[in-house]
Amino acid sequence: MLKKLLFWVTTVLVLAIIVAPLAWIYLTAFKGPADLFASDLKRFVVFKPTLENFVVLFRDYPFWPNLLNTFIVSVAGTAVTVICSLMAAYSFARWNTGGGDILFMTVSTRMFPMAVAAVPHFVFFKNLGLLDTHLGLTLLYVFFNISFATFLLYGFFNEVPKEVEQAAMIDGYGRIEVFRKIVFPLIGPGLAVTSVFCLIWMWNEFFFAFLFTRDDARTVNVLLSSFWGGLQVQYGLMTAGAAITILPTLIAAWFMQRYIIRGLTFGAVKG
Amino acid sequence: MLSNSPPLSGLAGEAARKPTIWETLTSERYFRWTLLIPLLVLLAVFMLYPLIYSIYFSFHDWGMQGDPIFSGLHNYRQLVFDQNFLLAFWRTLEVTLICIVVELGLGLGLALLWNRDFKGQNVVRGLALLPLLVAPLILSLLWNFILDFNFGALNHILSALGLGRVNVWRPSIALYTICFMTIWQWLPFSTFVLLAGLKSLPRDVFEAARVDGASRWYTFRRLTLPLLSPLIMIIVVLRSMWLIRLFDPLFGTTRGGVNTELLDWITYRTSFVMFDIGYGSAMAILSWAVTMALCMVMFRQLMKQMAPKT
Repeated sequence: MLKKLLFWVTTVLVLAIIVAPLAWIYLTAFKGPADLFASDLKRFVVFKPTLENFVVLFRDYPFWPNLLNTFIVSVAGTAVTVICSLMAAYSFARWNTGGGDILFMTVSTRMFPMAVAAVPHFVFFKNLGLLDTHLGLTLLYVFFNISFATFLLYGFFNEVPKEVEQAAMIDGYGRIEVFRKIVFPLIGPGLAVTSVFCLIWMWNEFFFAFLFTRDDARTVNVLLSSFWGGLQVQYGLMTAGAAITILPTLIAAWFMQRYIIRGLTFGAVKG
Repeated sequence: MLSNSPPLSGLAGEAARKPTIWETLTSERYFRWTLLIPLLVLLAVFMLYPLIYSIYFSFHDWGMQGDPIFSGLHNYRQLVFDQNFLLAFWRTLEVTLICIVVELGLGLGLALLWNRDFKGQNVVRGLALLPLLVAPLILSLLWNFILDFNFGALNHILSALGLGRVNVWRPSIALYTICFMTIWQWLPFSTFVLLAGLKSLPRDVFEAARVDGASRWYTFRRLTLPLLSPLIMIIVVLRSMWLIRLFDPLFGTTRGGVNTELLDWITYRTSFVMFDIGYGSAMAILSWAVTMALCMVMFRQLMKQMAPKT
């Protein structure tokens, strides 16, 4: 009994620390200027809710077009990333292509200071006319996410026994058929986890969107960051925007947790 | 085509016809490389090119205008004696170390706690996963609001409890506030990876240990930990790579002030605020080389453990 109590006390405490800041976003989003900075604890949760922040956000700022940009770039980027990393990870897992060195190079792309890589990328994009376009940002996101996606899928492919493939090939299947009909269905959960991770990270990316987009392809995070003005921060608008922007990721969390628990082992735990 | 025969022997029978490009690309011999083409193209364009570009400019003086002037090793020599850079370097190592240790410790604790069937487990896990999925930028803006000295919710609560206000952005502790923000966001990662690991452990081994009367602590130390060690290694490698490049949490909060300037922020500031591309490139190359060397060692170890099942 005591043990059960201890379990729930710890669990509730941890969840409170996790949920409280996020709840603050939703509380603040519905507050008027008078309640925004109120020091009275009761007014934290008991206040006269208003939709003013949302109204101003939709009326004076291109919130929906920017959200659409985020959506287009993340979905297109995820599709391309998953296809490229699926191919590469299969090659690494089946033939150990490059003896681990190319895989390391792929994973290590995350180690290069992106703040500096941005300079050559910027010049390069400017010359090709890719600045402030969906295509340009999508390509960048594919590159950033391919390292983790390949690494994740590599783990999932490792869990597919080679014998299954060999048996299919003896039955007269070609390589591509083996991949399509045998291996692909087996790594379904892995593919789901990888896609959702890519989707979320692209949805959340800020630094390159901030540097590389201005109007046409501006993502919603860049819009939100513009409410941060150094001395004056428009917290009402910021939280109203954030409340909508993080909604899809909150829903994703619900679907993801089962897959992650079953799938996120990188193929590294041996029975 | 009998594919368990030696490579290309299947083509011998039709030697008269030259294989098409598609057949060559999908043949046993080249298929592994064909699969890598998109990846390698991406790496060349987005990795190799900026790398060469940065190496080139690290030996030059350039302020985004006019022609770059060759300056030899001058940028690097200056870097080694640059107090700000060295401080940023140590701070980054400190943050990396603190975050990894705390994330692993708490993550393992929570994973063990939640590795059982209980009522509402899906709700608990769904909620626990949330921080990982929210944009770091939004979080940094949010924490700036909550932790503000004058009107932040934390200080309202503390003063209502009669504990007095805390300035979490004072120079002596601001770095740890950044650590807290980072751990808050990334704790679910190690928790869920370890939880997935615990779920996939072979049950019979633990059953046997229980039957043999092994104590809980003994089972944990001799069975659970060794079986989880590849995952712990993966967490350490991935997290150190990401932590060394920590940037977003600073954007909405201190912006590199109050003793929180980290490696990527000083590099960004040098390149994009002071427009000293040459010096910024030298910083990037040096910090990249050091982290590469560190991670290479860890990664080799990791690859041995991750090698395909036989």
